Amino acid sequence: MSYVLRRLLMFPVVMLGVSVFVFVAIRLVPGDAITAMLGTESGLLTPAQRESLTAYFGLDQNWAVQYWRWLTGLLQGDLGLSVTYGQPVSRIIIDRFPLTLELALLSMVIALMIGLPAGVFAATRVERPSDLIVRVFAMIGQSTPNFVLALLAIYILSVVFGILPTMGRFVPLTEDPLGNLAQMILPAIALGTAFAAAVTRISRAAMLDILGEDYVRTARSKGFSQRYVIWRHALPNALIPVITLSGVEFGYLLGGAVIVEQIFALPGLGRVVLDAILQRDYALVQGVVLFIAFNFLLVNLLVDLAYAALDPRIRYGAS
Amino acid sequence: MTFSRPLASALALGLAAGIAAPAAAQTLNVAWSQDATGLDPHTQTAFASIRLLELLYEPLVRLGPNLEIQPAVAESWEFSEDATTLTFNLDPDATFHDGSPVTAADVKASFERILDEATGASARANYTSITAIETPDDQTVVFQLDGPNVPILNGMASINAAIVPASAIEAGTVGTEVMGSGPFTLDARTPNANASLTAFDGWHGGDIAYDGIEVSVLPDETAILASLRAGQADFALLSDPLVATLVPREDSLQLNTAPTLSYHVLQLNASRDPMGELAVRQAISCALDRQDILDAALLGEGEVTGPLTSPAYRNDPSTLFCYEQDQDRARELLAEAGYEDGFSATIMAANGEPPTAAAEAQLIQSQLAEVGIDLTIEMQEMNVYIDSWLAGDFDMAVALNGGRADPYTMYNRYWTEDGNLQGVANYIDDTLDNLMQEGRVETDEAVRKEIFAEFERHLAEMAPWVWLYTGYTYTAQREGVDGFEATPTGSLFGLVDVTLSE
Amino acid sequence: MAVLRALLRHTSGQIGVVVIAVFAVAAVLGLLGLTPHDPLAQDRLARLQGPGATYWMGTDLFGRDILSRLMVGIGQSFAVALLSVGLAAGAGTVLGLTAAWFGKLWDGAVMRAMDVLLAFPAILLALLIVAILGPGLVTSVVAIAIVYTPIFTRVVRGPALSLKTRSFVDAARTFGSSRRYILIRHLLTNLVAPLTVQITLALAWALLTEAALSFLGLGTQPPSPSLGLMLSDSRNLMETAPWMLIFPALVIMLSVLGFNLLGDALRDVFDPRTRRALA
Repeated sequence: MSYVLRRLLMFPVVMLGVSVFVFVAIRLVPGDAITAMLGTESGLLTPAQRESLTAYFGLDQNWAVQYWRWLTGLLQGDLGLSVTYGQPVSRIIIDRFPLTLELALLSMVIALMIGLPAGVFAATRVERPSDLIVRVFAMIGQSTPNFVLALLAIYILSVVFGILPTMGRFVPLTEDPLGNLAQMILPAIALGTAFAAAVTRISRAAMLDILGEDYVRTARSKGFSQRYVIWRHALPNALIPVITLSGVEFGYLLGGAVIVEQIFALPGLGRVVLDAILQRDYALVQGVVLFIAFNFLLVNLLVDLAYAALDPRIRYGAS
Repeated sequence: MTFSRPLASALALGLAAGIAAPAAAQTLNVAWSQDATGLDPHTQTAFASIRLLELLYEPLVRLGPNLEIQPAVAESWEFSEDATTLTFNLDPDATFHDGSPVTAADVKASFERILDEATGASARANYTSITAIETPDDQTVVFQLDGPNVPILNGMASINAAIVPASAIEAGTVGTEVMGSGPFTLDARTPNANASLTAFDGWHGGDIAYDGIEVSVLPDETAILASLRAGQADFALLSDPLVATLVPREDSLQLNTAPTLSYHVLQLNASRDPMGELAVRQAISCALDRQDILDAALLGEGEVTGPLTSPAYRNDPSTLFCYEQDQDRARELLAEAGYEDGFSATIMAANGEPPTAAAEAQLIQSQLAEVGIDLTIEMQEMNVYIDSWLAGDFDMAVALNGGRADPYTMYNRYWTEDGNLQGVANYIDDTLDNLMQEGRVETDEAVRKEIFAEFERHLAEMAPWVWLYTGYTYTAQREGVDGFEATPTGSLFGLVDVTLSE
Repeated sequence: MAVLRALLRHTSGQIGVVVIAVFAVAAVLGLLGLTPHDPLAQDRLARLQGPGATYWMGTDLFGRDILSRLMVGIGQSFAVALLSVGLAAGAGTVLGLTAAWFGKLWDGAVMRAMDVLLAFPAILLALLIVAILGPGLVTSVVAIAIVYTPIFTRVVRGPALSLKTRSFVDAARTFGSSRRYILIRHLLTNLVAPLTVQITLALAWALLTEAALSFLGLGTQPPSPSLGLMLSDSRNLMETAPWMLIFPALVIMLSVLGFNLLGDALRDVFDPRTRRALA
């Protein structure tokens, strides 16, 4: 069986596994969904009221029935009703996903804009001081957790320089692009830094590998300029691992940035999922987590397929 | 990153609403950290829901800045001589947002909905003494009570007794469509993110000096502070004193503090040993330095309190049992109960609710360690905490419990024989129950005060809980926002009196 | 030993070893209780004090010594990281080896299960597990271990699979060695290199994940100190007491950096091909 076909067939199998895992996991979380919804006053509910609420949210059935209902609904595009929002889960995802997508894209743009030139630059100056400086920064960038970076950035900007980072009512891109950018830039930098560092390191390593290859050496010896060789021959080949890495990182970012979204008060998927887990909002956790996993798997699938297409030397299916 | 905000966002709002923004459109940008959990005024209990619903709906009467009863849908009211009949005259100008008048039939239907067990109305217990509701004409409602009941008027001054249209009850749209008679209409809302309110032209309470409110829900209080500083928010609600005290550092911002009715308390579970021993509970009360906990956890932002927190009933706490820290006495009491070597117990607190809970638990732990009581802190997520709290499943709990203007409505759920939260209080004696029943029927204010003062002394001495202090509610506003008056209930109803300059 | 010598000749290896060594000493001292002050003791008269002679890194809201709390916090973070990565490496090795060795159904089942776990962003999966088990140190260990098991399973299965097909295993088989002997002798020795590198890098991620969990209040419970919790406590006090932010932030950054440097250096040392590229 070809690699591509096998990957495509595996996709629904893994998705099914993910759906079972999420479904069971959220039900194992201690705490009652109805109490979570009503707070202390749920103590005042009569047994009859509690029962009718449980039935309304379909929580009175056994797990198998609940799962079957959810799965069949899912296949018809119905992700269920969120207990805390009183809205369809799909509606909440549609509301929140654009922000997460924008943040992920912005972080990736930052990462590639900084990481790629830095990596190529360092590779052409191996072992010189400039290479060393790039690598030190890349190492530090990769080792700084995004939430630490976010806090330090806020501290340095607001306390040391007196510049106010814009946090507040979220302004959608469609409403006010500049205002939106002002809000998104710091979180995107916080998320994009480690990403940029990873891009730097991998593009540098890939460039070095390629620059050592025979055909590049041949091109050089034929008298092509250094710059021409780098941009025409080496870079396109070095891009393959960079694309792979960016795909995986981007897939992760689509899962929402739980802590960074919280620190910058951004209403993205990460915050929804954290709140939903803490509030035992079964339908919401199931729907959002499944959506996140779906995106992640999809991005990975695309990256793998692109990889297979770009680099036929890689032989898959040996096992 | 420091553009001029108010203009830009007012413009943006206009664009979003798809209307040409008139130059004079004035929007008040409000930020708070917790969103309403629902829109049915009769069933919502979360403070976050109530403060939003108070801008949309109206009860018959409401509490003013000093907790005095003020007209709302009703323009006047009267108890019969024996306090068994309560008559309201409705304001003839009161209308719902669709322009239809608020009538006696709407009031009757609203209370019938509240009293219907199937509704699950949260304050139902406060109105069960209503035996009949009569509507002699469109503007008059008469409540027949099963006995003298003065606190019921206070109990009606709550958004949980909001008047909704009889037609909405019949159509079953209460909670899904907002149709109130309050000062604002709700145009759009994304839960946990934002809400848009427009001033209601036909509001019978008067004119509002601006056009609407744009609410943003920012779960992090430091973000609220940042948005105030950046001019994105004009008005904000804060609950963390660590953040609120930073507001005045900015010249253009003003912080308003108002004492609250809600109280920070250390709940002891008297149904578990050794907290079942009076001497042990008293020892805990004596071992704590309330002022010191207040100074550290809330940076001193609050006042040490006994059980009564309403200004009209509040007493000087220093006369209560062991309100001065006395660790020698605590050790004696422990020894007396047979615990001279101390004991171990757990203390639970909710994550971030209130924001000071973790700090309080750690301070209490450290102070009780000095008399040999070894506490283990259990930080729980809010809803896990609530499950345990309702089930009475804890040794000790750090809590911030809500208060009411009237001591009877505030405490009957805990400190009466059949209070519906007796299982949380875990302690009751005849003295408490009797004093509560006396307070319920007494109509003379001065005598009521003495009854509840006695109730408070007894409660502090029995120490089923250790009352600590009340904090403040904080609101912050930018220069140019004037006229807001805070209330001890934390209500934002005062926003109707706000004027915006600039 | 040869590895160690090579490592110490490697620049980033040297830095990594030094950083880790410094933190390891602080961690051990912290766990043994040999801190300048009692990390839990509240000094009422020294609340929110800046760095000074008595409290070198200042005090927190309760007047507790930040340095002492950091030392204990590092100790706990390192302990959680070591335990969870140890568990993940152990479980991953067993799963990866058996998957490669038995193949067929078992291989399919194991690898699909790992695919499912890998379909979640790490922090999200850890959050779910912690929500189920309730917050605490042990939970953090279990959660982080589960999150990183798939990576070890993959790391082990790949080489194990190719080694299995290689001739020397066949040769050993024909000489009549027992299955277990083959597994342990040949496969494991060939897995030392990738596993060591992966373990070091996973320690860096584990430190990160632990800090993130405790930042959200789901790790170590108060009053015992943890790096993430200290950081999260500093948020509302950033302006009044910046030392509460800066020291824990530096400690988290540097300790992750240490393991990353060490991991990189190990990869170079074990893999001569990349030595030129990354040295």
